[in-house]
Amino acid sequence: MTRHSRHLAAALSLATALAVSACGGGGAADGDTLTLLAWDSEEVMTPVLEAFEEAHPDIDVEATYSPPVAEYIQALQTRVLSGTAPDVFLIAAENKTNLIEGGHVLDLAGEDFLAGVPEFNQQTYGADGAVYGLSLSSWGAGILYNEDLLAEVGAEEPPDTWDEFLALCAELKDAGITPYLEPLDAMPGVLSAFLGAYDASTGHTMDDEIFSGASTFEETWTPLLEQYNRLYDEDLVTRDTVGLGPDQVEAEFANGRVAMMIAGPWNVNSVREAAPDLEVRMVPIPGVDGGEPFLAGAAAPGLAINPESGNIEAAKAFLSFFASPEGIEIYQAQLGAITVTDDFEPPLDPALDPVVEDVRAGNVYLPQIAWQRAEDVLNVEAVAQIQRMVQGEITPREVAQALDRKLASS
Amino acid sequence: MTVATEAPPPSGSGTATRPRAAGRRTGPSGGWREAAAHQLFLVPVAAVFIVLFVIPLGQTFYWSLTDFTGYSDDFAFVGLENYRTILSDPSMTAGLTFTLLFAVGTTVLTTVIAIPLAVALNQRLYGRNLARSLFFFPAIPSMAVLGLVWGYILSPLGSGVLNSVLDSTLGLGPVPWLSDSTLAKFSVIMVGVWGGAGWHAVLYLAYLQSIPHEYYEVATIDGASGRQRFFHITLPLLMPAMVISQFLLMTNGLKVFDLPYTLTNGGPGFATQTITQSIIVSGVGQGQYGIASALAVLFTIAVAALAFSQLLISRRIERRVL
Repeated sequence: MTRHSRHLAAALSLATALAVSACGGGGAADGDTLTLLAWDSEEVMTPVLEAFEEAHPDIDVEATYSPPVAEYIQALQTRVLSGTAPDVFLIAAENKTNLIEGGHVLDLAGEDFLAGVPEFNQQTYGADGAVYGLSLSSWGAGILYNEDLLAEVGAEEPPDTWDEFLALCAELKDAGITPYLEPLDAMPGVLSAFLGAYDASTGHTMDDEIFSGASTFEETWTPLLEQYNRLYDEDLVTRDTVGLGPDQVEAEFANGRVAMMIAGPWNVNSVREAAPDLEVRMVPIPGVDGGEPFLAGAAAPGLAINPESGNIEAAKAFLSFFASPEGIEIYQAQLGAITVTDDFEPPLDPALDPVVEDVRAGNVYLPQIAWQRAEDVLNVEAVAQIQRMVQGEITPREVAQALDRKLASS
Repeated sequence: MTVATEAPPPSGSGTATRPRAAGRRTGPSGGWREAAAHQLFLVPVAAVFIVLFVIPLGQTFYWSLTDFTGYSDDFAFVGLENYRTILSDPSMTAGLTFTLLFAVGTTVLTTVIAIPLAVALNQRLYGRNLARSLFFFPAIPSMAVLGLVWGYILSPLGSGVLNSVLDSTLGLGPVPWLSDSTLAKFSVIMVGVWGGAGWHAVLYLAYLQSIPHEYYEVATIDGASGRQRFFHITLPLLMPAMVISQFLLMTNGLKVFDLPYTLTNGGPGFATQTITQSIIVSGVGQGQYGIASALAVLFTIAVAALAFSQLLISRRIERRVL
C-alpha cells in the first residue's frame, strides 16, 4: 500500500467513524434541545411546538414524525433498542406493556400536569400506582345515524336496547334502506360496547378474572358474541362487511346509502366535509340484556418521557405546556379531539353532544387496551375469528375458545 | 534437432491454451499473484453478501432461539420452543398455504398471459408502442397502491366499481370479491397477475426480438402453421426468458406482503394472510421477535429449497429443449 493510499484509507476510516458516531448520537439530546417522536402529523404538531418554543425560548424542540400505528411502533422500538430513544414519545395500547416492563418510560405520578387528567386516562397508561403517559383526550365510537333516513320509517333516533335496534334495522331493510354498516378490519365497536357495559356492571373485574384464570373468554364473551352476531344471523346486515374498510363504510354513509354506521368523532368531521347537508347525530351503542347503552373507545395515546433522557426537566416542561389550557386549545383546534382536562372545555360538533359526557368521563371500553398482556396477539386473533364468524364459518363460542387458546399460548 | 525444439508451437486452439495453463500451475510467483488479484475483485461482493445476508441470517437464527421482545436486551434462550409454536399455530399454516398458492398461482397465470401478450405485442400493428406502454403501466405503481385502488374496484358492496359494472351490463348481483374467503384469494392473485403480466410480457418481448426471423420464414415455406411455429420455434427459444421470469415471479410471490396487506389485510379470517405479514406483525406489532425470527428462518429455508428446485428443473428443461 502506498503512502497516498494509506492516508486515503485513514481518512475514510475517520470519516466513517464520525458518521457512525453522529448517527448513534441522535437520541436523547443534551442541553436545551428536546427530541420528540410525534405520532400526529407535522401539520398538526407545528402550531403546538411553535407556541411551546415561544413560551420557553430556552428550549428548542427537535421533532421527528412517524404515522400511527405500526410504523410508529416500529420506529420507536428501533430507537429504544439502539439506545437512541427521543426525550418524549408516545405510549400507546400496542406498546405500553413492552415499554413499561422494559423500564423505558418515566413514572409521572404526582406531577402537577396530571392534576386535571381523569383517573381513567391515567390508569390506561399506568401500572401499580405509577403513571407512564400523559393522555389528554379520549375517543368514543357510537352509532352515527342519518336523521332523514331514520325518519322514513318514523324513527327519531336509534333506540337504547339491542332488541329494539335490531327491530329498527329490520324496518329499514323492509323499506329498502341499508340499515347499518361497520368495517370489520378491526375489533367491532358494537361488541366492544357490549363488553364495556358488561365490564362496568361487574365493577370492572371482567378482564381481571379472565387474565387471572378465574374466568374465560368462552364464559364471558360467548353470550355477547351471540347477541352481536344476530346482526348477521338475522340477515339484517350484509356479511360483506368483512371485506370493507372504514373509508368505504364512511363513503356509503356520506352518500346517503346507509342509515347508520359505527363511528368515532373523526368520522363526524369527514362526513361533514363530504356531505355538509347531511343531518347526522351520534348516540351510544344500544345495551344488551337490560344493560345500559355504552361506547367503544379508549384514552388516546399518552406523552411519555424517556427515563434515560438528559433533558427530563425540559421534557416535563413540554408535557406541562401540552396539558395547559393554552397548549391543549391549540392541539384540539387541529384535530377536533375530545380532550379531557378539567380546565378546558373542547369546542365540538353538536352531533357529538349525546356522547361527549361519557367519553370525557371515561365510560368507554376497548378490549385490546383493557387486556393485561398479549394485547395485539389477542386483537389480531379476535378480529380474524370474528370475520370467520360473520362469514358463518364458525360459531360465537368457537371465537371465544380460540381466544382462550391464544391467551394460553401467549 | 535443435531447430525442431526451438521452433514455435504450431498454431491452433489446443496447443495455444496449454502453455498458459501450464504456466499458471508451475510458473513463478506471478501466477498466484494474478489469481489472487482476480479473487480480490470478489472481495467487495463477498463483503456485501456477508454483511447484508450471512450476518443478519445468523443473527435471525440466534434470536429465533430466544424470547427476545425487541424492547429489552434481557431475554432467555427457549430452544426450539418458537418453532414448536409456529408449527402448531393454525394462522401460520394458513399463511404458509396462501403464500404458496399466491406464488404458484401468479407464476403460472402470469406466464400463461405474458407469453401470448408478448407475441401479440411483437406483431406489426397500429399503435404498437402505445399498447406496449399501456400493458407495462400496471408495473409502475407499487403493489401497495394497486391494493388500495383495487380495494375500491373490488368492493363487495353493490356500489363497488366492478359490481356496478356487472349489475348495469349483465344484471348480476353484487359479488363478494373480498368478503368471501375463496373469492378473496382469487382476487388477490388476479390483481397480482394484472400488476405483473405487462412487465413480464416486456421481458419476453425482448427475447422474442432476438429470435432470427429466418426461422419463421423457413418454417412457413415448409408449411408450418402458426400454432406449430409458436410451439416449435417461439416457445423453445423463449425458455431462457421463462427461467428468469418464473424465478422472479416465484421469489417475489413467496415474499409478497404489500398487495394482500392493502387489499384484504390478510382477511377474511386468515384466508389471504402471508408468511411475510405474519413475520412483520409478530415481530414489530406484537413484540415477538423470537417467533418472528423462527418464522423467518423456516421461510428462508423453504424459499431457498423452492428456488433451487425451480432453477434445477428449469435448467434441465432448458437443456433438453435447446
